[in-house]
Amino acid sequence: MVALLPCICINRKALKQEAGSELLYEMKGALELLQRVSAHADASCWYVAWSPAGTLLASCGGDRAIRIWGKEGDSWECKSVLADGHQRTVRKVAWSPCGKYLASASFDATTCIWKKTNDDFEFLTVLEGHENEVKCVTWAPSGNLLATCSRDKSVWIWEVDEEDEYECVSVVNSHTQDVKHVVWHPTQELLASASYDNKVCIYKEEDDDWGCRATLEGHESTVWSLAFDPEGQRLASCSDDRTVKIWKESTPGDGSTDESWKCVCNLSGFHGRTVYDVAWCRLTGALATACGDDGVRVFREDPTADPEQPVFFMSAHVPKAHGQDINCVSWNPKEAGLLATCSDNGEFAIWKYNSDS
Amino acid sequence: MASHFSGVLKLTDLDDFITPSQACVKPVKVEKKQGRSVAKIQIEDDGSYFQVDQDGQRQKLEKAKITLNDCLACSGCITSAESVLITQQSHEELYRVLRQNKVSSSEQKVVVVSVSPQSRASLAAHYGLSSSEVARRLTSFLKNLGVHHVFDTGFSRSFSLLESQREFLERFRRKEVDKKALPMLASACPGWICYAEKTHGEFILPYISTTRSPQQMMGSLVKGYFASQKGVSPQQIYHVTVMPCYDKKLEASRPDFYLSKYETREVDCVITSGEVLKMLEEENVSLRDVEVAPLDTMFSNVCGEELLGHAGSGSGGYLHHIYKHAAKQLFGVEVDELTYKTIKNKDFQEVTLEKDGQVLLRFAAVYGFRNIQNLVQKLKRGKSQYHFVEVMACPSGSLNGGGQLKPSSDQTNKELLQQVEELYHGERTSVPEQDSRVAELYQSWLESVGKEIARPLLHTQYHAVEKNTNGLSIKW
Repeated sequence: MVALLPCICINRKALKQEAGSELLYEMKGALELLQRVSAHADASCWYVAWSPAGTLLASCGGDRAIRIWGKEGDSWECKSVLADGHQRTVRKVAWSPCGKYLASASFDATTCIWKKTNDDFEFLTVLEGHENEVKCVTWAPSGNLLATCSRDKSVWIWEVDEEDEYECVSVVNSHTQDVKHVVWHPTQELLASASYDNKVCIYKEEDDDWGCRATLEGHESTVWSLAFDPEGQRLASCSDDRTVKIWKESTPGDGSTDESWKCVCNLSGFHGRTVYDVAWCRLTGALATACGDDGVRVFREDPTADPEQPVFFMSAHVPKAHGQDINCVSWNPKEAGLLATCSDNGEFAIWKYNSDS
Repeated sequence: MASHFSGVLKLTDLDDFITPSQACVKPVKVEKKQGRSVAKIQIEDDGSYFQVDQDGQRQKLEKAKITLNDCLACSGCITSAESVLITQQSHEELYRVLRQNKVSSSEQKVVVVSVSPQSRASLAAHYGLSSSEVARRLTSFLKNLGVHHVFDTGFSRSFSLLESQREFLERFRRKEVDKKALPMLASACPGWICYAEKTHGEFILPYISTTRSPQQMMGSLVKGYFASQKGVSPQQIYHVTVMPCYDKKLEASRPDFYLSKYETREVDCVITSGEVLKMLEEENVSLRDVEVAPLDTMFSNVCGEELLGHAGSGSGGYLHHIYKHAAKQLFGVEVDELTYKTIKNKDFQEVTLEKDGQVLLRFAAVYGFRNIQNLVQKLKRGKSQYHFVEVMACPSGSLNGGGQLKPSSDQTNKELLQQVEELYHGERTSVPEQDSRVAELYQSWLESVGKEIARPLLHTQYHAVEKNTNGLSIKW
C-alpha cells in the first residue's frame, strides 16, 4: 500500500487501490475555505446540518446548544440559539424533509423536536425512552418516520402523526455495542445503522415489525458513519479502521430472496486516523470525509469503471482543515460544491469544492 | 453469552436488580496458614490459578464463587447478574437437591414442582400431545426423579385472577379521590415490572396492580399453607416452578419473596420449558414414552384426569376476567364474548364496554416493548383513557416467552406459536369465581389468618430502582 503524502491541490496523483492495480489518473480538484466560524465556545462542535433549502445551517455541540446560521451578505451569521433543550452535549441535529422541524439527539438520553415558527424555533416535544446517550437522529424522506440510536445498543423508529404526536413504532436490538449512526435510504423505507461492534445493519419493516434484514461485516473497528449514494444503490461507511467502504445490494440472479450487501470498493491508505464522517453529494456524487487527522478529503468516482467494481479517487485534500478532529462533513443540498465541516475545536468551516473533470 | 431474558429486560439492565459492581465485599473463606511463609500465585495457560509456597508445594486454588443468596445480601459482586441467575436457578440445581435427598437422610427436602399452563402447551406442541397428557407424563417423569409433588400454577392463577378482580373494583370505586387508582396495570409479568421500577420509578408504580403473579401466589401457597398442612417448616420445602421465560427467575429472587424468618425463598428455583426439555434429553427420555401418572390435585386446576385452563389470553387472561367481572359488578352487564379491536399492531388490542353511546369501560392488552413505551408515554402526558391494561413484555405474550421450546427445522416461529396457542386454548376452562376448591381454600387459609396476614400472601410491593451513576459500573 502506498502511503500518500498530503497536499492541498492535487494536479496529478498516482493512486493504488485494494484491487491491486495501479492507476495514473490526471485530476484537478480543490477545496477553498470560504469562512471559519467559532460556533460553540470552549466545546466541541459535533455536527452541522444544512436545511433542505440549503439556506440555513444548524450546528450543535458540547455546550448543550444548537445554533442556526444564515447567510447575511457574504458571511454566515447566527440567527438563533436553542439553548434550553438539553442537559448534556447535543450530538447530532437533523432537519425534517419539509424544513419545518429540527430534531436534536443528546447525551442526556433524549431527542428534542423543535418547530420553526417564522424566524425562530420553538420546542415542540421530547422523545424519551433510550436508556443512555442518544448518538443520532434522522428523518425519513417521507417525513413521517424518525430513527434514533444510542449507546444502549438499540435503534428506535418513531412515527409522527398529523397532530405532531410522536409514537414509538419499533425498538430493534441488533447491535451488540454502542450504535453511532443511523441513516435512511433516499427513496425506500429502509434504514441503516453503524456501530462500535464493527457492523452495519440494514432494517426493513416486515410482518408488522421492523427488524435487521442484513448485516454488513468487513470493517475492523467501529463504524462511525454512513451515507447512501444519490440513487440509493450504494452505501458508504467510514470507520476507526481508517477506511471507507462502499457497499452494494446484490440481487442474486437465481431468484433467492436472500438480500445481501457486498463490499464493492475499499478506500484504504488515504486517511491517517479514524474517519468520523462521510457524506455523499446528492448533486454531484462526490464523496467527502471527515477525519481524526484533522483533514477533509473529497473523492470522485471514476466514470469509466465497472459499476460492480467502482473506483474512487481522492480529488481534494486539506490536511489541517481544522486545528482538531473533524467530526462532521456535510454537502449543501442545493448549491453544488458547497461543503460544511465542524471540529472538536468548536468551529465549523464552509468550503467550496471545485472539480475539473 | 447470548441473553435469554425478554427484550424489555435486556434494555433495562439486569445488573440494577442484582447489583453486581466492581468490588465484591463478600469475604471468601480462606484457609490461613500460620507462620511467615509467603506464597506466590502462578497462572497456568488454561487460566487456572496455583499457589506455590516456599517449599515449592503447588496447590490449585478454588475459583471464588458467590451464591445467589449472598449476592442479594451484599452490595457488590464480580459475576454478572445474568450468569448468577442462570447458574443458581437451573435444572442442575434441581438435580443437586434430588441427589442430596437420596444421599442424606437427615436433610431431606420436600420437592415440589409447579408447572405453568404455558410451559405445558409448549411441551405439548413439541411432543404432539395434549396439554393434560403432558401434565400426566411430566408428573410421572418428575416423580421418578424423586420429586414429591407436581402442581399446576393454573390453580394459583385462579387466586391471582380473583384478587385482581377485587383490586380493580376497589380502584374503580376510589378513582375520583385517588388520581393514581386507574388505569390499573397488570402485575404478572416480571419483565414489565423490572422495567417499570427501573425506568419510570415512582411515577408508574402506584398504577401497577399489587396482586401477586400465579408463580408467587403458588409460592405463598406452597411455603405457607402447604407447609403447615404437611407439618414441615418452609425451608424444608424446595419449590421449583416451570415457566415460559427467564424473567421469572428474576421474579423469584426478589427480596419481597424471601421469607427472612425461615431464611428461604417462596420459589427456590425457576426452570424454563426449554430446561425441562434438556432434562428429558439428558435422561434420554421422550415424554411420549413416559407412562402416565395421576395428577396431584391439591394445587392443580383439575377435573378428573384433565387440567382446566382459564378463558382469555395466553398470558393469564387478566383482561378477560377483570372486564367480565367489572361489567357485571359495576354496571350489571353480562358479557358473553369480548370483541377485541387491533389498535397499532397485533400486540396492542382494545376492548370497550359501551352503553347508550357512553364508554363505561376501556381496557387494553399491550404486549412488547414498543407498545409499552407508547402506553407509558401517553400515561405521562395524561392522555391515557384506559381503566385496565394487561401489560406483557414479550410480543405475542407469555406463550412466546424466551424460555419456550424453539421450533423444529421445518417450522417457523409463527407456525409453532400458533400450534402452542391452539393447544393452550384446547384446555377446558374453569371460572375462578365459581371454583369451590378455591373458595374453600380462601376460607380455611386466608380468612382464618385474618386480613393483616392474608394481604402479604396475596399481594406484593414495588420499589423504584435508583439509576446507577457510578462511573465504574458503566459498561462502555
